[in-house]
Amino acid sequence: MKEKTEQSDANVYQSDLRIGVYVCHCGKNIGGTVRCREVADFAGSLPGVFLAKDSMYTCSEPGQEQIKADIKEHKINRVVVASCTPRLHEPTFRAACEAAGLNPYLLEMANIREHCSWVHLHDKDAATEKAKDLVGMAVERAARLAPQMELTVPVARKAMVIGGGVAGIQAALDMADAGYKVYLVERSGSIGGRMAQIDKTFPTMDCSICILAPKMSEVGRHPNIDLLTLSEVKEVQGHIGNFNVKVLKKARYVKKECTACGDCIQACPQLAPDEFNAGLSIRRAIHIPFAQAVPSTFLIDMSQCLNNQGIVACDRCFQACAHKCIDFADNDRLLEIDVGTIVVATGVDVYDPTALTELGYGRFPNVITTLEFERLINAGGPSSGELVRPSDRRRPQRVAFLQCIGSRSKRSNPYCSNVCCMNTIKDALLIKEHWPDTEIFVFYIDIRAFGKGFEDLFQRARREGVTFIRGIPGEIIEDLKTDDLTLLGENTLMGSPYRYTMDMVVLSVGIKPRADAPALQRLLNLATDTDGFYMEAHPKLRPVDTTTGGVFLAGAAEGPKDIKDSVTQASAAASRANILMSKGEVKIPAITSRIDPQKCTGCGLCADVCPYHAIEGSKGHGSYRVIEAACQGCGACVPECRFAAIDQTHFTEDQIVSQIDLALSKDPHNKIIAFACNWCSYAGADFAGVSRMQYPPNVRIIRTMCSARVSPQWIERCFLKGAGGVLVSGCHPADCHYNNANQHTARRVERFWKRMEKAGVNSDRLRLAWVSAAEGAQFARVIVEMEQGLRKLTPQEIEEAARKLVPAAGKKSDAS
Amino acid sequence: MTLKIWKYFNREDLYECYQCARCTGSCPALQVAPAIGPRETILKCLNLGHEEVAKDPRLWLCCTCNVCEDRCPQMIPISELLVALRNSAARHGNIPSRLSMAIELLAKTGRSMIAHQLDEMRAHHGLQPLPSAAVDEVQAILRKAGLDDVVEF
Repeated sequence: MKEKTEQSDANVYQSDLRIGVYVCHCGKNIGGTVRCREVADFAGSLPGVFLAKDSMYTCSEPGQEQIKADIKEHKINRVVVASCTPRLHEPTFRAACEAAGLNPYLLEMANIREHCSWVHLHDKDAATEKAKDLVGMAVERAARLAPQMELTVPVARKAMVIGGGVAGIQAALDMADAGYKVYLVERSGSIGGRMAQIDKTFPTMDCSICILAPKMSEVGRHPNIDLLTLSEVKEVQGHIGNFNVKVLKKARYVKKECTACGDCIQACPQLAPDEFNAGLSIRRAIHIPFAQAVPSTFLIDMSQCLNNQGIVACDRCFQACAHKCIDFADNDRLLEIDVGTIVVATGVDVYDPTALTELGYGRFPNVITTLEFERLINAGGPSSGELVRPSDRRRPQRVAFLQCIGSRSKRSNPYCSNVCCMNTIKDALLIKEHWPDTEIFVFYIDIRAFGKGFEDLFQRARREGVTFIRGIPGEIIEDLKTDDLTLLGENTLMGSPYRYTMDMVVLSVGIKPRADAPALQRLLNLATDTDGFYMEAHPKLRPVDTTTGGVFLAGAAEGPKDIKDSVTQASAAASRANILMSKGEVKIPAITSRIDPQKCTGCGLCADVCPYHAIEGSKGHGSYRVIEAACQGCGACVPECRFAAIDQTHFTEDQIVSQIDLALSKDPHNKIIAFACNWCSYAGADFAGVSRMQYPPNVRIIRTMCSARVSPQWIERCFLKGAGGVLVSGCHPADCHYNNANQHTARRVERFWKRMEKAGVNSDRLRLAWVSAAEGAQFARVIVEMEQGLRKLTPQEIEEAARKLVPAAGKKSDAS
Repeated sequence: MTLKIWKYFNREDLYECYQCARCTGSCPALQVAPAIGPRETILKCLNLGHEEVAKDPRLWLCCTCNVCEDRCPQMIPISELLVALRNSAARHGNIPSRLSMAIELLAKTGRSMIAHQLDEMRAHHGLQPLPSAAVDEVQAILRKAGLDDVVEF
């Protein structure tokens, strides 16, 4: 092993290596703790370093000019800046290098502020020694850096919107108006979605369909929008800028020449519950989803039609249609569509309260859900807008609303559904508006009226005499004779039990992810949160992007939200997609995996772990290949390869191993090597620095893009070199920036623990910690705990462990 | 003598209660008696401490049907809490006299009913007198259950 290292070192230094090292004082931030002059002198003595300087503020204009001048004058061909975190100024220094004609990927930074001076404020000697180590590690890595070219891929100027609710409509219109071709894919027979079903909107009490219908017809006639109803996405291939989507367009059995005259309805003998009216009325097998439907074309529900066996047993609608629009021979078609960007706006399902048997939904006719109520009170609904209760079609005098049904509960959906409070208040006001003598009771836990105009509406409801009672009923009892309902519960503010008799009870049900959300999640490689909603790339700063490039989120598919928020998000998603399409090309960071076809045996293990399906090939048929445009650069595939055929550019095995070796070249027994992922744990360590949380100075942090890049061979090497402890840290399991690639981190570390236990080595020395970017304290705590564990170790123990972990000769150490 | 009920019940389970009162609304005891509802029990445990709650004689009106726990949206193990509270209450002397008398009877005679009148009835019907009860064994069991802290025997 030693010989090999020396040889590779020789190779590195053979080339004309001229490293320039710049140690920044950052005023007193670094200079107050670390003796920067001493560090620069030390750096100057390192092999390959041509010059080493310290400066007050390297990021300042003069500091950058110095680097540029040195690159030009002294032909510096690698730059090491020892200053703050690369998450802050890497782009600055990369730009400086590029301006001076040096490839930006030939820059390396040593983080001696957040990871050194700020966390060891009171130990100047230790901080200076650590800074020397960090600079040494950076120099080693810099010596092995290679220039990289960022790949540019074209972006097709066409978009697909999946889901035709208000969010999908808005996104489609925004992109189409910007001049791009949009394919709007909707599963049902008409666009409109949930908003079309709702009677009024809160807090303005606008008529929902009245404000939506103009937008729907705009979609229908927009020259740039291709509307595909009764259609579902079946397959997605490709990557950002170039998606190939297969869409199944189901047969409508009615030609688009249909004038929606409705002559056929009377003729049709087949009846079915009307989905649009939440099952409260009946429709025929041939029907139009609702009066304002776009496209305004009838359709035949083949599951109900008598002709569903392919035999024309009934042709009454055909006979009734004067325009001869009925076409029983219509077929499902599979369309193949190429687009550059995709907006996902698939919306939500409504919670079904049947499971809550104590409330009697489904057994007691007068217990209904809010969606059913919306249809009941809508002028286009089954009762033509008359408020009637289902059992006897009498107008109810006492109506109760029950909040948080299916929401905020570990037995159903643990989250707050966001819209139910305001929806109930709006519904209560609607009843009061039409029938002021109705007594209305709202049973709640907390009323969440947080939005613009919401509190106003809440107050209006109280002034109108709506009674708000804190305490959800535990049980509803039905009077068998009158069908009236008795609610048993406790008024928590009064501290006394109640018993109310009501004519009708409306369950304010929550909303939940679509039952088939996981199917689309797999097709598009999206991540979901613990509640099952699609996850955004960053909850604060990239709220409509997904972890898959070129795919954006809009509406409630991303989380429960009201109409206004859905529209806002849809416009944001469209705007993000428009940026890509207007540029027409996208640059992909040059941190990707590469497969050496000479070494690849075609086993396909890498393709199995790739979270982006970015590795293509088939088992046993030649070598696999990385699709660079689809590779997001997590590096999860690299440790999976048993034949060292994969490497990651800019985070190569060679580079990282050189960092490990240098960090452990002096006093290894007292050192902890910490592998930290760029997005969470490295940022968490930065946050510990920003917060000045003090922790022991014997940790050396090595950055990878994702914790899944951490190879068991690195861990092994650390222990063989005598490291006291090794920390592998990444994002929390659901927060991984690479689509849960960190599940492989956990698997590999667990496997290494087993190996340690088998070899009789104290497995506490290898630690796995999930540290988010906000958990600086957690990072500091982990290091403190590991240091305490370290103190109990004797050098003999460490050396013995290293001997025990030496891989058996000839046997390949387990890579996965 | 105070029994630390948090040894038998995880206090943190209570923190998730958001006082929706579905439990109290479901409580059958509360429909027929002035019982203390589960919601109020939890709130008082959190705000006043369980020692205060353990002094309340209404604790004993719970009929341990566990419907409250069935319907709790936060899945708080309410029935466990109520049992732990009653254990604590009994050791404080907060126990209905009928219950403590029953324990005393069991401890002293080894039977849960007064048996000497039974012997006459049995003789009347031509039955043998009852065999003697294993008082020592019963007492050992009661001690193991900690009931010697509640009732003297």
